[in-house]
Amino acid sequence: MINLNKKLAVICFICCIGLLGCKKYLEEKTNGKLAVPTELEDFQALMDNVGTINSSGISAAEISADDYVLTDEEFDALTDDYERRMNIWEKDYIFSTDTYNSWRYVYNSIYTANTVLIGLGKIPRSHNNSLTWDNVKGQALFIRGNNLLDAAIIWCPLFDQASASTDLGLPLRMSTDFNEISKRSSVQQTYDQIISDLIAAAAKLPVVSLSKHRPSKAAAYGLLARAYLAMRNYPQAYLYADSCSLLSDGLMDFNDLDLKLKYPITINQNKETIYVRYLKSSSILNPTKINIPTVLYNSFETGDLRKDLFFTPNANGYYNFKGSYTGSDGHFSGVALNEIYLIKAECLARANQISQSMNVLNELLLKRWDKTKTYVSQNADSEQAALSLILKQRRMELIMRGLRWLDIRRLNKEGAGISLKRIYHHKEYILPANDLRFVLPIPEDVIAISGMEQNKR
Amino acid sequence: MINLKILSFNLLCVFASLNVLAQYKLTGRVISATDSSPLYGVSVEGVGISLTAMPNSEGYFVIYTKAQRYTLKFSHVGYVTKILTVNALDNKQLLVVLEPLNQHLEEVNIVSSGYQKLPKERLTGSFSTIGTKKFNEQVGVTVLSRLEGVANGLFTDRTTSASGLLMVRGLGTIRGPKGPLIVLDNFPYEGSLDNLNPNDVESVTILKDAAASSIWGARAGNGVIVITTKKSNFNEAVKIDFNINATIIAKPDLFYIKQMSSPDFIEVEEFLFSKGKYTAEFNAANKPGQTPIVELLLQKQNNQLSQASYDAAKLQFSAIDIRNEYNKYMYAAGLNQQYALNIKGGEKKHKWNISTGYDRNYSTLNDRYNRFTAHLKHSYQPVKDLDLSVGLLYTQSRNTSGRPGYGSILSRSVLYPYARFADDFGNPLSIMKLYRTGYIETAGNGKLLDWKYYPLEDYKHMSNIQSLSDILINAGASYQIFKGISADLKYQYERQYTDIKNLRDEQSFFARDLINQYTQLPVGQPIKYIIPKGGILDVSNAFMESNNLRGQLNYNNSWNGHEINFIAGAERREAKSNVEQNRTYGYNGEILTYGNVDYLTTYPSFITGASGYIEDGRSFQKNANRFVSAFANGSYTYDGKYTVSASARRDASNLFGLDTNDQWNPFWSAGLSWDLSKESFLENNVFSYLRLRATYGFSGNIDQSMTAVTTIRYAGTSIHTPAPYAVFNNYYNPALKWERLGMLNIGVDFTTKNSRLTGSIEYFHKKGTDLFGYAEIDYTGGIGSTILKNAASTKGNGIDLELNSSNLTIQEFRWSTNLNLSYFRDIVVSYLNNSQSVSAVLTNNAAITGVVGNPAYGIYSYKWGGLDHLTGNPQGYLNGELSTNYSKLTGSNITYNDLNYHGSAVPTFYGSLGNTLIYKDFSLSARFMFKMGYYFRKRTILYNDLFSSGRGHADYRNRWQHPGDELNTDIPSMIYPGTNARDNFYKGSEVLVRKGDHIRLQYINFAYQMNKNKYKFLPVKSISLYANIANVGLIWTANKEKTDPDYLGENALKPSRTFSLGIRADMN
Repeated sequence: MINLNKKLAVICFICCIGLLGCKKYLEEKTNGKLAVPTELEDFQALMDNVGTINSSGISAAEISADDYVLTDEEFDALTDDYERRMNIWEKDYIFSTDTYNSWRYVYNSIYTANTVLIGLGKIPRSHNNSLTWDNVKGQALFIRGNNLLDAAIIWCPLFDQASASTDLGLPLRMSTDFNEISKRSSVQQTYDQIISDLIAAAAKLPVVSLSKHRPSKAAAYGLLARAYLAMRNYPQAYLYADSCSLLSDGLMDFNDLDLKLKYPITINQNKETIYVRYLKSSSILNPTKINIPTVLYNSFETGDLRKDLFFTPNANGYYNFKGSYTGSDGHFSGVALNEIYLIKAECLARANQISQSMNVLNELLLKRWDKTKTYVSQNADSEQAALSLILKQRRMELIMRGLRWLDIRRLNKEGAGISLKRIYHHKEYILPANDLRFVLPIPEDVIAISGMEQNKR
Repeated sequence: MINLKILSFNLLCVFASLNVLAQYKLTGRVISATDSSPLYGVSVEGVGISLTAMPNSEGYFVIYTKAQRYTLKFSHVGYVTKILTVNALDNKQLLVVLEPLNQHLEEVNIVSSGYQKLPKERLTGSFSTIGTKKFNEQVGVTVLSRLEGVANGLFTDRTTSASGLLMVRGLGTIRGPKGPLIVLDNFPYEGSLDNLNPNDVESVTILKDAAASSIWGARAGNGVIVITTKKSNFNEAVKIDFNINATIIAKPDLFYIKQMSSPDFIEVEEFLFSKGKYTAEFNAANKPGQTPIVELLLQKQNNQLSQASYDAAKLQFSAIDIRNEYNKYMYAAGLNQQYALNIKGGEKKHKWNISTGYDRNYSTLNDRYNRFTAHLKHSYQPVKDLDLSVGLLYTQSRNTSGRPGYGSILSRSVLYPYARFADDFGNPLSIMKLYRTGYIETAGNGKLLDWKYYPLEDYKHMSNIQSLSDILINAGASYQIFKGISADLKYQYERQYTDIKNLRDEQSFFARDLINQYTQLPVGQPIKYIIPKGGILDVSNAFMESNNLRGQLNYNNSWNGHEINFIAGAERREAKSNVEQNRTYGYNGEILTYGNVDYLTTYPSFITGASGYIEDGRSFQKNANRFVSAFANGSYTYDGKYTVSASARRDASNLFGLDTNDQWNPFWSAGLSWDLSKESFLENNVFSYLRLRATYGFSGNIDQSMTAVTTIRYAGTSIHTPAPYAVFNNYYNPALKWERLGMLNIGVDFTTKNSRLTGSIEYFHKKGTDLFGYAEIDYTGGIGSTILKNAASTKGNGIDLELNSSNLTIQEFRWSTNLNLSYFRDIVVSYLNNSQSVSAVLTNNAAITGVVGNPAYGIYSYKWGGLDHLTGNPQGYLNGELSTNYSKLTGSNITYNDLNYHGSAVPTFYGSLGNTLIYKDFSLSARFMFKMGYYFRKRTILYNDLFSSGRGHADYRNRWQHPGDELNTDIPSMIYPGTNARDNFYKGSEVLVRKGDHIRLQYINFAYQMNKNKYKFLPVKSISLYANIANVGLIWTANKEKTDPDYLGENALKPSRTFSLGIRADMN
């Protein structure tokens, strides 16, 4: 027992060895790439995830619209049942319930925005970080507003002052609590949220953003113009379109473009783009084989540079579209100045300011016209005539931008009476003007789990 | 934690003070007659005097008594009981040699939990062990491959994991990690399990119940497999043995794959052509490749080819079967060679063991695998109470890719079945890979690199070499502090370095294609290569390092019929890994040069003109898992009959985002056992050994990738913004806890008189709570349609039966049988929010169904209404009415209540039966394996899949074609355009569900043993020659198609039959 103390020391040593400093030892990250998002940089990084935030524009609107045609063979060859059903305006099961669908993309982006907005609440805005802080907040508000607007355009009845407070709108998610039960707001509440998000975003966003993949003040104004247009509030739409164009870099001259390129509108030359966003790719709108309706193609006159810059013949007799503002084979659904010009022109015409309206339109078209050929200015002597010129150009200028569906819906509301028709194997599929099916169904699985009310089809 | 320490210390002090005052001391050693190895765990009891002793791991025991002369009884399972009268005054060491009862029955009586080694008879928990002999009946290259079928309660699950996953006592978790914890000697092995040389293995212990495994705490929920390597003894003569074998692997049977025949496939292509399916593709800007038949059909349509020439070409194509091409050009018999040498010895103060092994394998596809292992163990006893040991395990291996196997050569999607690899003279032919043949022949006017793909050439230009080196060093000290009390300190360090070089050289299609895609041919200017000419080299370096440190106090003592075995300690473990990846373009391996590329600019594609960025192959990863644990385990045996045991453990880990206080998690177990055969009222019973055991306790399961806060993961640097971007990794999930698995185990161990029958039967009840599961949520929430939560609980009852019988002994002929039979069926008790669309689980791969009251993996199906008489459309039932509204039949409105339930997708009965016949020096053993009580879904023809990806199935031949066919077939008619929903309905329907039950003959082993005392001419002590046939095949299967339910994947092949010859020699 002489060295009892030594022996006890051994025991104590053994007992303690594993446990010393265990708190610090356990603070090591399991994965070096992980972070709990708490810093402004973390939030910016989440919103810089271009693959999600900028690449999931809702393609359902374009698929449902009439800016493309399918041959019988192409219709048969579609491998996605949901897209096929969507193409012929089926009443249900037009959104995939087993893979990602547009609803999921929209609310996924909104979740990101909400994460940022809630996280910002825990970061004090200080003298040192105010610029970044405002920019991050502006981007998050913009992303939420943008996604809500996209979603409202397909899943909600068109805004109508008379019924907006009772029409079913979107579930408005303002928190990151995924257990919250989804409830549909009214169309009024939905648009109120869109407008307030975008106005707040415009106040916070910088005039020039670091990249066109990040929103800027002009982008927010541009979306506001689009939102007010959707609400048929033309004076407001004009104001925001005008503010947007004031902050822009001006129109690009199509005379400067290289016709020989497979995609002539290159990112480098394109100064019209204000905010880059892509439609989610879909096999039905596969850019390598899309067919533009012959009537639409034929509406381009000789001397109009767009005729050659936008189109390339397909072997089946139709023309393919190669004029995407993505500079490549994706479809563009962001904000660009040509859309803003057309909103301005339309709103001016609707305010009966016909000559101003024609000036805006001519300014745009001049940049589309072959400078070696004489450009004859567009003129109108009535509001109706001006509108018809502008809307014709709007359709020609904004091909595959995801905007046609909204245009059909809002113009029908103004009495245009546009009905859609597709014919496959001699069978006609018709969507009459103002049909209930102009409001798409919310994916069935969302309805099943949330118990929300489905749109009437 | 503090309390535990104080408690354990107090306990130790109490035990220490029980030091018995004795007058006479007797020391002795018990060894086995077979190999003079020490026998640990022998029961030493006084006859007519109350005393017991317990030999230690070296076989030594000490007895203090007041008596001077007395009689001792030495008994041990599997050995003849010996009774000796001793005189304590003899003052010399007593050597007791026990004769085995039945030489050919192998018994492992010492089990290792990784923390302590104890005789089976002193344990209350459920352990199953595999000794060297049984382990070596198979010749597999890896340790785990030799366990399949021979271990009780263990089976390879091929339902939830196509590559096979070892499972102890069935499914214990739903979404957590499913594999058991693998322990090598003392610590979990973090390296690749392929590193271990099976010739170094002495025994394998499977810890099945809570009392056995809960000492491993948070990682033991799926059971623990402890691999014990060979060791030497003090005072042992040098022993050398070696083992050499060669295995020939037969070519696989490619006709097991139910591929669509070439004539059928051509028929479908003609049909689709007539429907205009390819018309849009002919015009597409990206020039999608078309199969030869489609190209010919187009030529014929354009009047460039006559009907007669077309028919002639078609006839030629129809005669080709891609399986024959693969068989002829890609597959060849494989060869595995294995060499192993083991030298061991010991003297008074040292014992050591050196082994080395070399494996060289050529697979049937000429994948080459080399492995060198060296293992060194040394123990030194400088002073009486101190043991020092060091060990070193080194592995170096290299894996080199060979030829492509069936299904791995793809054209645009699945390769057409009439593709040819070589012409009649054996010259390599090109096949359609990505683009139109006509396009790539003319594109670039000869200025581009050859754009064709030659299957017989391409693999020669792709080399994937994986080199691995692993070093494991351990050191330990054990110090006897007081009598019975010892302290252990163990440390282990492991470092594994894996280096993967994947080179696709300039001649490879991959490199040529990528270079061509970005090549620019400006008029009148030189060719511009945006991606430089040369090979593309992807390098990935993975580095793993682990540190383990354990301090442990042991108390083992016995006196007057009392016996205590107690351990307590603490440990910390860390496993870190780093992965770095990089890609080099324009690589030239001969002069070691490389090219530069611009990742930040978009370049137009040569084919479509669409611009894109060049792929940047850089990535960095870093992971660290850390655990800190405190543990204690003790047992007390009275009178050699009654044992109680208890264990407790707390673990903490660096689960990200949790507060340290929440990271601790306690697990415990308790158990009892009663040796009935030692009771006087059961003497002269049929049993020479009969013991009852019961335990209850908890262990855990953890997935270190889960976190309890919203975390983001930096995914790379965006080219657009340009700044690092991040994605959500985990969502705020405050209630996330470790999985807990409770298990009740009741068992009986028995040996009949004369050891005719030995075995055990165990009943267990398993209860999993807080199991990870995907709870369905409304994806309006923004985080997807499911979220991982502690969402489920399951329970299940099981039985493990192990029987070893010595059936017949006629002179030198002996027949013995080993049977392992297990039953386990899990039942979901609760599964949060499970309203997922049922169509998602009715797929070929078994999916988690999670229906309360049924197993977690269940097989369900749509009710089948037969094929429609007029159209051959499959029909289902919607609200009790026949329907062909497939969107509704497979839609969100369908719930599990609308489906048929067949049964579990995971086998509920499984096991193996081994028979051994021995005649003189010859032995023959054969092992059958069986899995029963489960279902699977047969693969079949899915038209939409066929149309979109060319994936066919032989069932096409027997499809409905004419009214009336519905009487003979359930395979729907082919319709165009196809609809996914129609296919999905058929795929999920009851007509495709099959019983999975089957029996297979796993291996046959033949051995001839020659000993020097019989064959005097032998230069060595003994030589054993052996031959083995493995993967013999299915003996019986319940499904009528004779599909092997273990190999159901799309291109799954049955494992090749292997033939091995080997020699094992014992040199001294």
